[in-house]
Amino acid sequence: MNQTQTIATTRQPDASPKYMDIGIRRKILVYIVLAFGAVVMLMPFIWMASTSCKPPTELNQLPVRFIPQDPACAINLDALYDISPLFNSYLMNSFIVTIGRTLGQLIICSLAAYGFARFRFPGRNILFAMCLGLLMVPYQAIVIPQYVLVRDMGLLNTLPAIIVPNMFSAFALFLLRQAFMQIPIELEEAAEIDGANPLLVLWHVVLPLSIPALAAFGVITVQAAWNDFLWPLVAANTPDTRVVTIGISLLQGERSTPWNLIMMGSLIATLPMVVLFMLLQRYFIEGVAMTGVNR
Amino acid sequence: MMTAVLNLLGTTPRARRRALWGIALILPNTIGLFVFFGIPVLMSFNTSLQEWNGIRPAVYIGLDNFERLASDTRFWNALSNTLQLLLMIVPLEMLLALGVALLLNQQRLKGRAVFRTIYFLPVVTSTVAASVVWAWIFQPRFGLLDMFIAPLGFTDIRWMTSPDLVLVPIAAVAIWQRLGFDMVLFLAGLQSIPGVLYEAAIIDGANRWQRFRYVTLPMLSPITFLVVVLAIIHGFQIFDQVFIMTARTVPGGVGGSATTLTYLLYDSGFVRSQFGYASAVAVVLFAIILSVTVGQLRLQRYWVYYESGEAQ
Amino acid sequence: MTKRVVFSVLLVVVLALSASVVAQETTIDEPMITPVVCEEPGDLTMWVWDETWAEVIGNSIEVWTEKYCEGATVDLIQQPWGNYWDLLRTNAAGGDLPDVFNMSQTFVGFYADNDVLLNLQPYWDDAGIDTTMWGTGMVNPYRFGEDGDLHAGPVNWDTVAVLYNKEMLEAAGLEEPTSDWTWDDFAMYTEALTDEEAGVFGSAVYMQFQTGYANWIAATGESPAVAPERAGCTLTSDESLEALNYLHGLYDAGYMPSVSVMGGSSADDAFALFASENVAMITAGSWKMPDAIEQLTFDWDIVQLPRHPETGRSRSVLHAVGYVAAANTSQPDLAANLITFLVSDEAQMFFAEAGGVAPANPNPVLQATWAEAFADSGKNVQAFIDATEDSQGVTGFGEIWNVINAELVINIFDLDIPVEDAAAMACDEIDRTIAELAE
Repeated sequence: MNQTQTIATTRQPDASPKYMDIGIRRKILVYIVLAFGAVVMLMPFIWMASTSCKPPTELNQLPVRFIPQDPACAINLDALYDISPLFNSYLMNSFIVTIGRTLGQLIICSLAAYGFARFRFPGRNILFAMCLGLLMVPYQAIVIPQYVLVRDMGLLNTLPAIIVPNMFSAFALFLLRQAFMQIPIELEEAAEIDGANPLLVLWHVVLPLSIPALAAFGVITVQAAWNDFLWPLVAANTPDTRVVTIGISLLQGERSTPWNLIMMGSLIATLPMVVLFMLLQRYFIEGVAMTGVNR
Repeated sequence: MMTAVLNLLGTTPRARRRALWGIALILPNTIGLFVFFGIPVLMSFNTSLQEWNGIRPAVYIGLDNFERLASDTRFWNALSNTLQLLLMIVPLEMLLALGVALLLNQQRLKGRAVFRTIYFLPVVTSTVAASVVWAWIFQPRFGLLDMFIAPLGFTDIRWMTSPDLVLVPIAAVAIWQRLGFDMVLFLAGLQSIPGVLYEAAIIDGANRWQRFRYVTLPMLSPITFLVVVLAIIHGFQIFDQVFIMTARTVPGGVGGSATTLTYLLYDSGFVRSQFGYASAVAVVLFAIILSVTVGQLRLQRYWVYYESGEAQ
Repeated sequence: MTKRVVFSVLLVVVLALSASVVAQETTIDEPMITPVVCEEPGDLTMWVWDETWAEVIGNSIEVWTEKYCEGATVDLIQQPWGNYWDLLRTNAAGGDLPDVFNMSQTFVGFYADNDVLLNLQPYWDDAGIDTTMWGTGMVNPYRFGEDGDLHAGPVNWDTVAVLYNKEMLEAAGLEEPTSDWTWDDFAMYTEALTDEEAGVFGSAVYMQFQTGYANWIAATGESPAVAPERAGCTLTSDESLEALNYLHGLYDAGYMPSVSVMGGSSADDAFALFASENVAMITAGSWKMPDAIEQLTFDWDIVQLPRHPETGRSRSVLHAVGYVAAANTSQPDLAANLITFLVSDEAQMFFAEAGGVAPANPNPVLQATWAEAFADSGKNVQAFIDATEDSQGVTGFGEIWNVINAELVINIFDLDIPVEDAAAMACDEIDRTIAELAE
């Protein structure tokens, strides 16, 4: 047990080995390629940010301008809260729902992923295939039955309506199972010889060695929960339970589309995701790589 | 009798214990998925055998929806569009994501964290904002692309309205928006490759390319498999980008030129109120994706390398 | 914290204003519709699709619960416009429609055909309301059944007119058009205002059904796209082709932009082009006025659509949004009572003063109040009101909407498919759909 614990927490030394080096010329080329790609990736985000600071008179520019001539960031922010006074509560609802969904999936899906990865039982492959199969049905086909189901459970228009169905995930199951299968089985066997039951093995051996995958899972699931629009709309669109994605889309009336306010709202909603990614990314980069096991 | 049941679980006490543990571990997720997704899926499949406009009581019509589907040009057109988009999106998306992940995995590269965040940004950028900018990029006369290609003689190219060209902008947005997702998965996978393997390879005299081919690729293969399967499943179901990008011209594209199978599903159900037919489309789509995925699962053994030695 | 303070102050101001409006009910001396006190209060759910209306409707509902139905509550929920119809379908499929909800002429057909809407005619009759007061364009699409029972209460109307850039007209040496101008004048203006070198187009007036070609077809006297009572497609008739060819001629000559250049086939795309001063004249709906006043940076004004040279008619498509009630609501009387209130002069005054979409109630005081809300801007908003006289109701419906609203437009004004062929293609689709629906 102690041995595996030590191995599990070894980190990559800071002075990276020589073989990871790349020449100066290559480096510059790499930077240029990455920078070009970065501009492409960033453009819509920059447009979003700049539009959120534009006054109404600058909303119809052809060709599109990326820098407002008469910045109105503060004015737009106030206007946003004027039109949508509950905006902060929408953000709070999104926050609650996201945490609920992610924690739920973290626990429930890692247990299941471990079960599918390392345990033999009758019907294992069929069940796994069936779970995967659920990913293959487009949501437009099931939204009505899901709505009826949740309504019959009496959950409609409550936050649990958004959280509970999404505490289970076939995607998370798949991702975590693949990640768990990347780990050398010897480590788990060693722990079992020491007398650990499966839960302890999961907690002390498998999960610590899967930090990169868990971080990836976290980033993707949090993002999916935070940006979820259609299901919260169908299941819980009342002022109390509304999430921020719906709050933003309500700014778009039938006849008028105040782009500056919509983008201001979107910007506010996007920032937590960006911050979260920046915080979590070190975990799937500076994660564990050394296992010291010879094959 | 009892022994027969017990033998199903395993032949030794240890095997049986393992089996019971396995079942216990998967139970919460499996039950939850069944209740909240499995049942709705079954209900939707059931609807495919009915004629239902959403309001009047549903009427069972057997396989009529499927017969109609087989001879419906809209369906075959949607299938063709979906496949075209798939072929345009998935290979590019994965190759670019892998490339970026490899580049951003170099520890000596300054500003990696910033780049990684930037490349992930499209995943969290609002699809509305993305579609406005990408539509502008492809707009003739006033758009960004036009600025570059007009001097070359390509003026007034009507990307969004031309039935032949409309899939290109849609593919561009789809790749753009999903690249970060794949990148994150690849980055995580690259992390789990033990450094000792690279060291051993160098000792054996392997160069950069050989290290990539004989260490990185095989060790990454479980994650690559995940990415491929997910990308294809996602590609078959592409909807948001189609919906938003074509909303400004004709939803679903002129003459259905951008109608994918999921769009056909949505249109049949929510616009034309033919939920039975829509469900039939869903069933067929499911069957197609399932066959492709099963095929991939079978092919696993040829290229996916699992540490524990078992391909499943 | 500052947000909260600001919001509280606003709330107080709004309440004070609404209180003062209630106190001033004598501004309407002779109401055309008097609300009725409800028999029994209860709880209703109501759906609307527009954020700005929600506030106006919310204020008027407050008055209702104070004066005409004490103890009643209305759960007012806004749904995003882009998803409104999908959500209605979803709820309807689950059997759960809201008690009262917004409806548009385009989509009402499906709900009426499937008996989803409460027949309001008995309630109109009981309250002594003569439903012909709203004219024909506004309410006929909401009439169903042998006796033409009115199933909706009209809330607002909108019409279409031409917006023009005054500065560009001056620069081209043109006088501002009057309501007498004809198609020939319009063609002449369009040509004169086009400046190829500067990349400026003379006009963009064909896009979408409501703001575009349908108005021109209507001016010939033909029913745009579909004949009355869904008798069949009219796009291949001589009159329709005349109008389409007229517009196509202007596009072909390079005086009007293609859909691709505009960035899309909607009125908003034309508006964006107009706002960025790349086109001199566009058609726009009255609903666009608040945005226009806020966003346009140059001198502009409004004029009625030009007259057809032979018929002499200037016609605009008139669309009216209505309130409907669900047929299976548990409180039909209460729902109908609320709707009766919402179409009354008292409630409609809120719309008139808010200066957004125009109130449907024909009381001239209301219409004048609405026009006055724009008085500061100095624009000829009267053109929209005048357009209600010889108006054309919406003839299109949900199942063919994409064809008449976008595909036809793109085929003719972008893909350069000959007008007759494009019209024939559209008619095929329309007639086929009509036949399917009749089954």
